[in-house]
Amino acid sequence: METVIRTEKVEKIYYQGKPEEVLALNQIDLEIIKSRFVLIRGPSGSGKTTLLNVISTIDRPTKGRILLHGEDVSKYSDVQLSRIRQKTIGLIFQNFNLLPRLPAWENVAFPLLPVGIMEAERRRRAVEMLIRLKLEKRVDHPPEQMSGGEQQRVAIARALINDPEIVMADEPTSNIDAESIKILFDILMDLKSKGKTIIVSSHDPIFLDYSETTFLLKEGRLMSIEHKEPR
Amino acid sequence: MNKHLNLLFTAIGNICRNKVRSIVLILCLIAVLFPFVTAISISEGIKFQSLVSIEEGADIYVTEDYFGSNAPISLDYVGRFKKMEGVTKVFPRIVGRAYFTNRLATLVGIFPENLPESIRLSQGTMFHEKGDVIVGEGLAREFRLQPGVRFSLSINTSKLLRIVGVFDSNATIWSANLILMSFEDAAEFFKVKGKATDILIYTRSGYAPILAKQIQENVNASTSGSPETPLRVQDKTLVKRYFERGFNYKAGVFTALYTVAFALAIPALLIVSGFGQTERRKEIGIIKATGWQTQEVMEMVVLENLVISLTSAPLAILTSMVWLKWFNGAFIAQFFIAEIGLMAPFPVPSRFLPLPCLFAFIFAIVLTMVGSLYSTWRVATVPPVEAMR
Repeated sequence: METVIRTEKVEKIYYQGKPEEVLALNQIDLEIIKSRFVLIRGPSGSGKTTLLNVISTIDRPTKGRILLHGEDVSKYSDVQLSRIRQKTIGLIFQNFNLLPRLPAWENVAFPLLPVGIMEAERRRRAVEMLIRLKLEKRVDHPPEQMSGGEQQRVAIARALINDPEIVMADEPTSNIDAESIKILFDILMDLKSKGKTIIVSSHDPIFLDYSETTFLLKEGRLMSIEHKEPR
Repeated sequence: MNKHLNLLFTAIGNICRNKVRSIVLILCLIAVLFPFVTAISISEGIKFQSLVSIEEGADIYVTEDYFGSNAPISLDYVGRFKKMEGVTKVFPRIVGRAYFTNRLATLVGIFPENLPESIRLSQGTMFHEKGDVIVGEGLAREFRLQPGVRFSLSINTSKLLRIVGVFDSNATIWSANLILMSFEDAAEFFKVKGKATDILIYTRSGYAPILAKQIQENVNASTSGSPETPLRVQDKTLVKRYFERGFNYKAGVFTALYTVAFALAIPALLIVSGFGQTERRKEIGIIKATGWQTQEVMEMVVLENLVISLTSAPLAILTSMVWLKWFNGAFIAQFFIAEIGLMAPFPVPSRFLPLPCLFAFIFAIVLTMVGSLYSTWRVATVPPVEAMR
């Protein structure tokens, strides 16, 4: 069993040194095994999103170490972290974070721009991804012309366009309808079957049936770790 | 290479998508650059005309010297100068100033046979009879003067003058407020006898410096100890130098004023380029979260600025051309041409040279870069989650 991510005594403090200082993560030690479906759960304000942000490298911990394949990425430079996000991690945000005014295919293909792939090839790959996610009719539509579920699938397509090893999703069911939730699960399970590591932060109990490892957070502390046999 | 092309096309796409911000930014840049381009082109136009006038003018100008200043010179010298070797032509001239109602006009008196061949008239003929004058296009337009009109000037109301011609509007700016008359009429008007304000000497090629020195030394030596005053000799090089010094002073005044305006424009552009900065901040956070590097974000923003500058600078030059063509350089020409008011009553000369146009482009780049590079860098170097917040 290969460990992809390990955290050691990770702390995240917001507004450090100010009267409104918040300890969002407190001494978090966890280990994530490759190709597992991992759920980070806990009530609102427990630090789920903060933990996901920190291990996805879009935020830096205040203290502690984050090891990706044994490498301490918490000390990595801005450039090194960008490379990790480009090649290793695909992120799906709670509010999708699509670029307004850009059509779906351009949003999906945006991570390919600095790779140097020209427009025709970018479009081909993006459209292929959108078809996989049943969005063939939305290829040229900007986000504001799409439903929440569709926008989320565009965000998933963007997260997968570089074929990352780890896919992370923050509260993926919070802004979509029941039908979209079903499609989301199909996609996530399909990714898992392909050997991807899935990390989801959510308070939605629906994920409990699918998760193989569940980390329970409360007030920034890791309260319990639950392992189940892979499905 | 593909990566840079992708970033360039993305930059162009961003400019097209953020239409309002782009248009406002381009308009601001035009507003800042166009006075500069206009001023430089007027300055170059005047400089060019002046240097041509100096080149086409006499080789040596001689006046008497009172307390180190120019003073009227006796006409007796005309004959003496004519005899000098290398001299091709010598003639006296009277130059003075007088108010035509409220407009200060330059009066020039010259013998008809010495009139330059390049003089062109839009109306009437050259002067032939006593009291005939030719007036500049500026005066003619301002006071609706035309051939046949008679007038006198406050300095000598007894001298009645009659307009027989009007200078062509394409003549040099120096002729705009000019009243040209015969030498005798000018002498009578200013009530001077046997004197001219200066004597113009034309020489054979290469003789000017030698003759200037000879006149200065010999004539002054011959007058030392006599009641005659010494002479003041100015050759073309000296006239050019005087002109450039005076002109650079005027250009300097404008540059100083423009620098203040330019400095004020920077914070204004910072505000304008901050248009939609919250949205921009979030966009940068998102693209960084999807794997873009800071240098790629910066390159995209630099390319956006380059495209904006490449659009703004030619538009500013075009606006400047239109301003000069249709509005005759209003509000700006007055910095370079004395007493013309807001609207010059004659065509303001202008010249668009490549270097000032290049400067306009560089200024545009400086302004846009100052307005956006630092703010972008700050956003791009914080963790993406902070930028997206």
